[in-house]
Amino acid sequence: MTVKNELRHAWIITVKEIRQLSRKKALMVPLFLFPIIMIIFFGYGMGGTVKNAPILIVNDDTGTDSASLIQEIGAYTSSYNGNPMFTVTYTRDMSQAEAESKIDAGIYKAVLLIPHDYSERLIKNDDVTLTLLTDASDPTTSGIIISFMQQLMSRPGPVSLDIPNIYGNLEYLDFLTPAVIALTIFMGSVATTGSAIAGEKEDGTIVRILMTPVSRRSVILGKTIYQLILQLARAVILILAAYFLVGFHMNGSWLLVALVLTIFTLGGVGMGIVMSTRVDDMESFFQLNLLFTLPSMFITGVFFPLSSIPDWMRYIAYCLPLTYANDAMRTIMIKGQGLSAISTDLIILTLFALITFSSGVHLFRREA
Amino acid sequence: MNPIIEVRDLRKIFHSRGRKIIAVDDVSFDIMEGEIFGMIGPNGAGKSTIFSMLTTLVKPTSGSIKVAGFDVYKQDGKIRPVIGIVPQKLSLYPDLTAKENLELMGMLYDVPKNLMEERIEYYLKLVGLSSHANRYTGGFSGGMKQRLSVICAVLHDPQIIFWDEPTTGLDPQTRQSIWKLAKKFNSEGKTLVFTTHYMEEANNFCDRVAIMNLGKLVALDAPQSLKEKAGSDNLEDVFISLTGAEVRD
Repeated sequence: MTVKNELRHAWIITVKEIRQLSRKKALMVPLFLFPIIMIIFFGYGMGGTVKNAPILIVNDDTGTDSASLIQEIGAYTSSYNGNPMFTVTYTRDMSQAEAESKIDAGIYKAVLLIPHDYSERLIKNDDVTLTLLTDASDPTTSGIIISFMQQLMSRPGPVSLDIPNIYGNLEYLDFLTPAVIALTIFMGSVATTGSAIAGEKEDGTIVRILMTPVSRRSVILGKTIYQLILQLARAVILILAAYFLVGFHMNGSWLLVALVLTIFTLGGVGMGIVMSTRVDDMESFFQLNLLFTLPSMFITGVFFPLSSIPDWMRYIAYCLPLTYANDAMRTIMIKGQGLSAISTDLIILTLFALITFSSGVHLFRREA
Repeated sequence: MNPIIEVRDLRKIFHSRGRKIIAVDDVSFDIMEGEIFGMIGPNGAGKSTIFSMLTTLVKPTSGSIKVAGFDVYKQDGKIRPVIGIVPQKLSLYPDLTAKENLELMGMLYDVPKNLMEERIEYYLKLVGLSSHANRYTGGFSGGMKQRLSVICAVLHDPQIIFWDEPTTGLDPQTRQSIWKLAKKFNSEGKTLVFTTHYMEEANNFCDRVAIMNLGKLVALDAPQSLKEKAGSDNLEDVFISLTGAEVRD
């Protein structure tokens, strides 16, 4: 059988898959809406900006220079739909421990401590450090407060900001979007490939296809091409939604994003094939799928950074391919880095794709 | 008549959880060109395994099979275009229309487009499904699916048609129409290989019948000769006397 013939057969399978998908309206909706819903819910619900976040300023300064700083924070209404971001309360003579307890009680999202020698040091042009306590349990709000304070302190001068327990200064949405794309592609490619094959096994249609002169290689190739088209289309929709609905900004190369997603999709397709060869029907597949993809969703740093989870969990995360896809996507999309910065991720993802894909093809050929 | 399928010393052993299962045990027979050949046997007799080996889906453990002169080990790619298979599971894509299901099979068998269109129209009319050509097969009745499934198997004009339990679960009208169709294909020179549980159908329609039991071929002859040898006028009695009366798992 010639290569041309194999490719032609593969394309027939691809077209069949697309046609089947187009008939499954009930599947199309979640397939394309799921990523958009994720972005909107997480983008607006957890990311974006804050409104009227209560801030306490403990001003122990004995001089007058702190007045301008306080005024600036208080007047900051960097409007979000006309609402000021912060509601500021002022006090003095409060210890750091007491301030922390106020945060613990949920009264304030952040407390800024201005030392008693603030004006004195400023006049002498000595270094002076302000302390910012934030509510680490609300990373979104504290992240925004921190980034605002840092901006404020970043002008030339001796004033610096000390932020205990820094969580990060990214907006949550920026952090989230690249990983949600990777997650969506991963769960989508594993689930749709595996369930399609498990479904064909259940219906017996796969046997009919395998009885024709078409090679098993062509069957797999056809299904893979279909997955690449489907998953990249989902990624595009997701990126457009993130851009237009919640204002995500892309800093890196689209080509690299496509490269990472293509390799990752191949790995997902391979994993779907491997899992589908272990089961005889759709229901078993979905249970198996849950077992493998759900942990990935929670411990590979999609929703919170890897640095914030316990060590033992991080070691598990390092065994999961989604961890590397997340890292690669963030490195490209947020940090705007090039190929060399993601080379380790790419090597691991390529290995993942090679292993799952070749064992998928092997198991699929041995079966039926 | 010349043999179109030659089976020699065929064995198939499966290994399942440390157990060795001999599904087919040293079976040899020929199927002649142009005959209607039936395979009967209780559950687990090895019919389906032989069926899968004849249709290139499963490789034998030992022994040889030649289909239309081609070896199943080395030339399965040459065998597939000359055989048509109607599987027991009707295996149609429920979200494709009758016509799309047929076109898919036609394309995978490399039937030229014009010829394919012509044949689809002809066969849909032959089995009375022309008016359902553009309906999704998900809504088809068992009989309609069986008829469509047959066309899927013959679009590429195969020399041999393998038919796994063609009438199981169908009403008498559909069964009649299926056998009429089988007779028609046979009259056009095609060889037909069936498996069935219905003794009456094996008796009425098959030129020769192979009776399998526990992986072995226990009898092979024309239904009439089998009955004469056993001194019975009923093929079912012959079958029970050869394979035993106990119920199989």
